[in-house]
Amino acid sequence: MIEVEQLSKVYGTFRAIQDVSFRVEPGEIMGFLGPNGAGKTTSMRILSGYLPATTGTVRVAGFDVISDSMSVRKNIGYLPENPPLYPDMTVENYLSFVAQLKKVAAGRRAEQVNRAIERCSLQEKRDVLIRKLSKGFKQRVGIAQAIVHDPPVIILDEPTVGLDPKQIIEVRNLIKSLAGDHTIILSTHILPEVSMTCDRVVIINRGKVAASGKPSELTQQVGSQVQLQVEGSPDGIRGVLAPVEAAQLLSLEPLSPELSDRWVVTLQSQTEGDGWVRDVAARLVHGGIGIYELRRSQASLEDIFLQLTTQEGSLEESGEPEEGSLGSTPLESSTVESNSEAA
Amino acid sequence: MLDLLGGIITILRKELRSYFTSPIAYIVAAVFWVLSGFFFSNIVSQAIRISQQVDLFSQGGQAFDAPLIASQQFMSVVGTLLLFILPVLTMGLYAEERRRGTMELLATSPITNLAVALGKLKAVVIFFITLLLPILAYHLVTLTATSPIVGIPQVLFGYLGLILLASSVLSLGMFISSLTDNTLIAAIGTFGLMLLLWVIDAAAGQESGLVPDTLRHLSLLQQYSTWVQGATGLSSLVLFLSMIGLGIFLTVQSVEALRWQQN
Repeated sequence: MIEVEQLSKVYGTFRAIQDVSFRVEPGEIMGFLGPNGAGKTTSMRILSGYLPATTGTVRVAGFDVISDSMSVRKNIGYLPENPPLYPDMTVENYLSFVAQLKKVAAGRRAEQVNRAIERCSLQEKRDVLIRKLSKGFKQRVGIAQAIVHDPPVIILDEPTVGLDPKQIIEVRNLIKSLAGDHTIILSTHILPEVSMTCDRVVIINRGKVAASGKPSELTQQVGSQVQLQVEGSPDGIRGVLAPVEAAQLLSLEPLSPELSDRWVVTLQSQTEGDGWVRDVAARLVHGGIGIYELRRSQASLEDIFLQLTTQEGSLEESGEPEEGSLGSTPLESSTVESNSEAA
Repeated sequence: MLDLLGGIITILRKELRSYFTSPIAYIVAAVFWVLSGFFFSNIVSQAIRISQQVDLFSQGGQAFDAPLIASQQFMSVVGTLLLFILPVLTMGLYAEERRRGTMELLATSPITNLAVALGKLKAVVIFFITLLLPILAYHLVTLTATSPIVGIPQVLFGYLGLILLASSVLSLGMFISSLTDNTLIAAIGTFGLMLLLWVIDAAAGQESGLVPDTLRHLSLLQQYSTWVQGATGLSSLVLFLSMIGLGIFLTVQSVEALRWQQN
């Protein structure tokens, strides 16, 4: 549905993106993941036909975004980084205007607008001026505007940015419900978003594709992590955990200066499945170590992300050790930092 | 062609709705109506005074067409008022779209830049014509009841000139609005350009030659006042139409260029 080949964009001397290639199959939700300034918005703009690329081609629904721009425009719904709203219009008027702009036939316009309003749960705000809406509702109107003409391809640039957690969940569910009928590409810098909503991920860093694949494939490369809060002596904890072959001890840190026998332990495993977590818990209990908390960190994608992005940085900039990478020395502050960011 | 028309109507409807719901448009209308009404009554009462004096002193002499002169005088005052009113009408046309990020919506929708520009220009011209209607009404009522009578066609012709003049200014103002995302800068820029085109004939002075003559022809004030006096020819019409066309052309180009320079 979307074919991107060797895409590059140069602003003056700055290369915003370089040789980006990927495909999105019909009905798929694809996540475009990268830190701020990695070139996500630039890529989305090129995909939507808003910005011309310096080199490379983009085909959406079989049409080239430059030479066949009007055909592409009819086939996409696009939510830019900032939702393109007219504050002095009501939600319904605005959506009706967009439907008209997208060449929805006059007879079907009201029906399509109603559908978009329902899908985005905007029924109560139908006659409210957009300028009076909260940020979350504005974002939803932005999404409604992208789907009002029922386009085969939907491009969403950071659809959940600035929303509160409840709204984020709603928006994610909305996006998931759109898959199948629509091909969706969404950009984000939030990792859980990708693992929760997307079928496939492209990780982009400094304008280049750093990795791509299914979220599960990517997380397998790093493995899963568990964080525990336990009571005992460091040597005792190490001793109990040493026989667990499936997991490596990443860090062992005191919880706080006041509680001398409380420790925060981070474990990581490359093995498939999560049987090792049970094993760890059982051994700790049998070894007389008290467990106050056991929590799986959702950071697995985040770790591969940090690994990929910081590796590249250290390679390019200096010969420093790979700070964010995992599996090196335990008890080092850098690994803990990356974990705490993840949590 | 049908596509273009559909696009123009879409934009036209949206823009008109936003004019009629925007407080700025109403403020502009109020100011325009109050000022033009004030000048109108002023000019008319002055004309009455002068014609009485003339009647007194030149008994049976040359007829003095006070109504016509008052009518023309009023038209030129309204023309000058436009200088201040029109930049406010055009300032937001594109600058607001740029500021709000809605350009991105327009640029990724199946509508051409030309259709957007034509729709916007039509909307603002229609809004301007509605501003003129009440003025035209009292102008006609008052000045066609005088003796000697001012012909209705003559008045309407003057207003046609006014609309053409305004359309050229609006078209160029639209272009200036497309250059920035700041409405205030757009308004000041348009005002500056208008002022320049208004008084450009002053630069020509009394000299003749290719350059001064060209400058004189480019002066909107000159063209407009000859139009109002009825002494106009095809050349004024051509100037106004070219200004309108130029504004549309430049707007389309500048919006297109925006996509290439965007950072």
